[in-house]
Amino acid sequence: MQDTILKDIRVVDLTHFTAGPYCTKLMAGFGADVIKVEKPESGDAMRGMGPFFENQEDPEASIPFLWLNTGKKSITLNLKSNRGKNLFKKLIGQADFIVENFSPRVMPALGLSYETLNSINPRLIMVSIANFGNSGPYSDYKADEMELQAMSGLMHLTGDSLKSPLCSGPSLCQYSAGQHAYLAALMALFQRETTGKGQHIEISIQECSLENIEISLTRCLQTGQGARRGPHMMVPWGTYECRDGYAAVIAMPYRHWHHAVDLFKEPALYQEKFATLRERIKHRDEYENLLCPCVKSYKKKTLFNRGQQMGLSFGYVADLDDVMQSPQHQARGYFVGIDHPVVGEHKYCKAPFLSSLTDWKSAEAPLLGGSNSAVYSELFEYSEKEIKLLAEQGVI
Amino acid sequence: MGNQALQGIRIIDLSHSWAGPHCSRIFADFGAEVIKVEYVRRLCLLRGGRKDEKAYDKHVAWCQVNRNKYSVTLDLKNDKDHELLSDLIRSSDVLIENSRTGVMAGLGFSYEDVRQLKNDIIMLSMSAFGHTGPYASCSGYGAVMEGIGGIQSLTAYENSGKPLRIKELDITNGVAGACAVMNALFYRSRTGKGQHIDLSQLEAATHSLIGEHLLEFAMNGSCSLPTGNRHWKYAPRGCYPCKGSDKWLTITVRNQDEWQRFCEATGKMEWLTDKRFSNLESRRQNHDDLDMEITEWTKNKSPSGAMRILQAYDIAAAAVLDMEELVANSHLKKRGYFASVEDGEEKKIMGFPFSFSDSPGKVRWSGPELGFHNQFVTEKILGRPTEEAPSFSEDEVGTAFDPETE
Repeated sequence: MQDTILKDIRVVDLTHFTAGPYCTKLMAGFGADVIKVEKPESGDAMRGMGPFFENQEDPEASIPFLWLNTGKKSITLNLKSNRGKNLFKKLIGQADFIVENFSPRVMPALGLSYETLNSINPRLIMVSIANFGNSGPYSDYKADEMELQAMSGLMHLTGDSLKSPLCSGPSLCQYSAGQHAYLAALMALFQRETTGKGQHIEISIQECSLENIEISLTRCLQTGQGARRGPHMMVPWGTYECRDGYAAVIAMPYRHWHHAVDLFKEPALYQEKFATLRERIKHRDEYENLLCPCVKSYKKKTLFNRGQQMGLSFGYVADLDDVMQSPQHQARGYFVGIDHPVVGEHKYCKAPFLSSLTDWKSAEAPLLGGSNSAVYSELFEYSEKEIKLLAEQGVI
Repeated sequence: MGNQALQGIRIIDLSHSWAGPHCSRIFADFGAEVIKVEYVRRLCLLRGGRKDEKAYDKHVAWCQVNRNKYSVTLDLKNDKDHELLSDLIRSSDVLIENSRTGVMAGLGFSYEDVRQLKNDIIMLSMSAFGHTGPYASCSGYGAVMEGIGGIQSLTAYENSGKPLRIKELDITNGVAGACAVMNALFYRSRTGKGQHIDLSQLEAATHSLIGEHLLEFAMNGSCSLPTGNRHWKYAPRGCYPCKGSDKWLTITVRNQDEWQRFCEATGKMEWLTDKRFSNLESRRQNHDDLDMEITEWTKNKSPSGAMRILQAYDIAAAAVLDMEELVANSHLKKRGYFASVEDGEEKKIMGFPFSFSDSPGKVRWSGPELGFHNQFVTEKILGRPTEEAPSFSEDEVGTAFDPETE
């Protein structure tokens, strides 16, 4: 087994739902000891959300929970009780990171502000994620994924120009924030190597999400020009219907586009008036009306293969079955089987990238409180009897 | 405020387009010295297609994505320039590239080559499909990876509707690349060892967008997406027209308590006793009717006015903001999100995706003019005589598109 990046790092994980858990999932995958602190009885609300394995409601079988919490330990702890708080502070004394994505009022209200935690452990790095950040008029606003997409400009730009804005299926704002949170956490960890000091990182999901439209937003900031949903500016650049689904036909790399003449044998496509990109943009409808039947005559994977052979950046729209069977994913070992005591063994995506000297640690998501005995005995030297008593008293 | 997090780190950026340059932008924002290597005969596509009045130096996309970076022009097929890059690598910490598999090796800068120059170098390769496997030599822009990754299949107006693109994947992949580099920098600080990262943009985007949906498919043989603007579980959820052209409000009601408050907020207490809407199941079955009723309530209100009414009752509701509205947004202003460039340009720019209590982000200058730092890099960084600095004539400059494309 190769080394892992974060093998000596301990994370106290107070996160729930999507954004925070994706950050700490990455930490666990890269080797950190992630201790997820859950509310006794119910745990992370994602456990109740589903969709569930075989559609059977069970807090140990919520599929997004199983994905987002791989490789972590779970302990239960009642942060509203004084004894719970004291245990939590002891845990903080032994941690490198605390990651949380409560609404901004919660941690200070629990008496667990950054200042308090930093006074216990000056090397602690705290990562706080909130929908709209911890200040400003929207800081108490409620939001689900669609509201985040609406408030970060993404939704206005997604969908057909003649229809309403469209919320994308994947939770891209929340995942974007989780990914940024991991990046910021590692930057602070790297800097701590020289300063010896921790710090507080503040993540606004809205502001992370704005990065996705950095070009359109900067253009508007500097020139006043807006942007609207609809087809890609360049022609052709998009997905077109073909015999068995949709193919992506992209006129890039631009210098190779003339090879397409061998694929799309409609002479009208090669008239002088379509010769340059600017002209094709000007005559978009006319050009695409000629192109569409040509694309339609192909099967999606055939067009992808033929285009790529000519140096063109073509693709196709895969369904999830295509993805699971993808020869590329299989060749690179992208899926890994992970066994779980309740749902059994299934295939999960493994690491987001491959590094030559360091590995990704694959392990199942934890049962609620599954590591209570191990953590409370190892870190606090409680006996089994004392741990049982803490549970009876509602502390853990 | 203390030092910037990446102070003292030098990064050679051989990447082009958006994902690689976005990755190095974040490092430059937080203090790394990022030296962008440019090829004069075929400029990065973010410089646009126009050459007149050096339009390629002023392109908005270029100026944003390459802010804080140094520009040096090199032709790596030329021996002298090849040697200059080798020299730069000897004094650097990180090398970033996003060329097609095999291109760097062809130029004599494979990881093995680079390691000969600097033993503990960290090299990030971010090709479309990774350096191994049957698709290794394929090229891909966002639309290609979004399709082949299965990401696109999950967004449509209806379950069986045409799959639509959600965004360019460059930010997701750029940030994944930055995570990989930070991992490797931390590892190097503890072990003294550099390493090579083989990032497949297909894999990184899949992981950070649809891992849970692939797991759902693996476990249940089906996926609950796409659902348009509705939700597979909550109801109502939708995007409702408001007063004005292309003005919209989103609403998500997640449970019975929120439904009660939603009816109070809208003043439609009769919905609570209406059999069509009384519980989650009936609301899902009668979603069309409910949408019509909600539209009656939203259609004469402004999105922000309706949002405030609902948020006062703790209902998740949001105005669908366009670019102009974001630029003028009072919340972002109040948070001091928008920034300006330190070198005195009167340009408003975007701020940073996160903030540290003790290590500031900074924008010292916008994306540099082509070759602006040729002298600086040659003399100050490499310590070579000024006459060895790369130079070029305007005639040599070629863009990635027809010269008349914006």
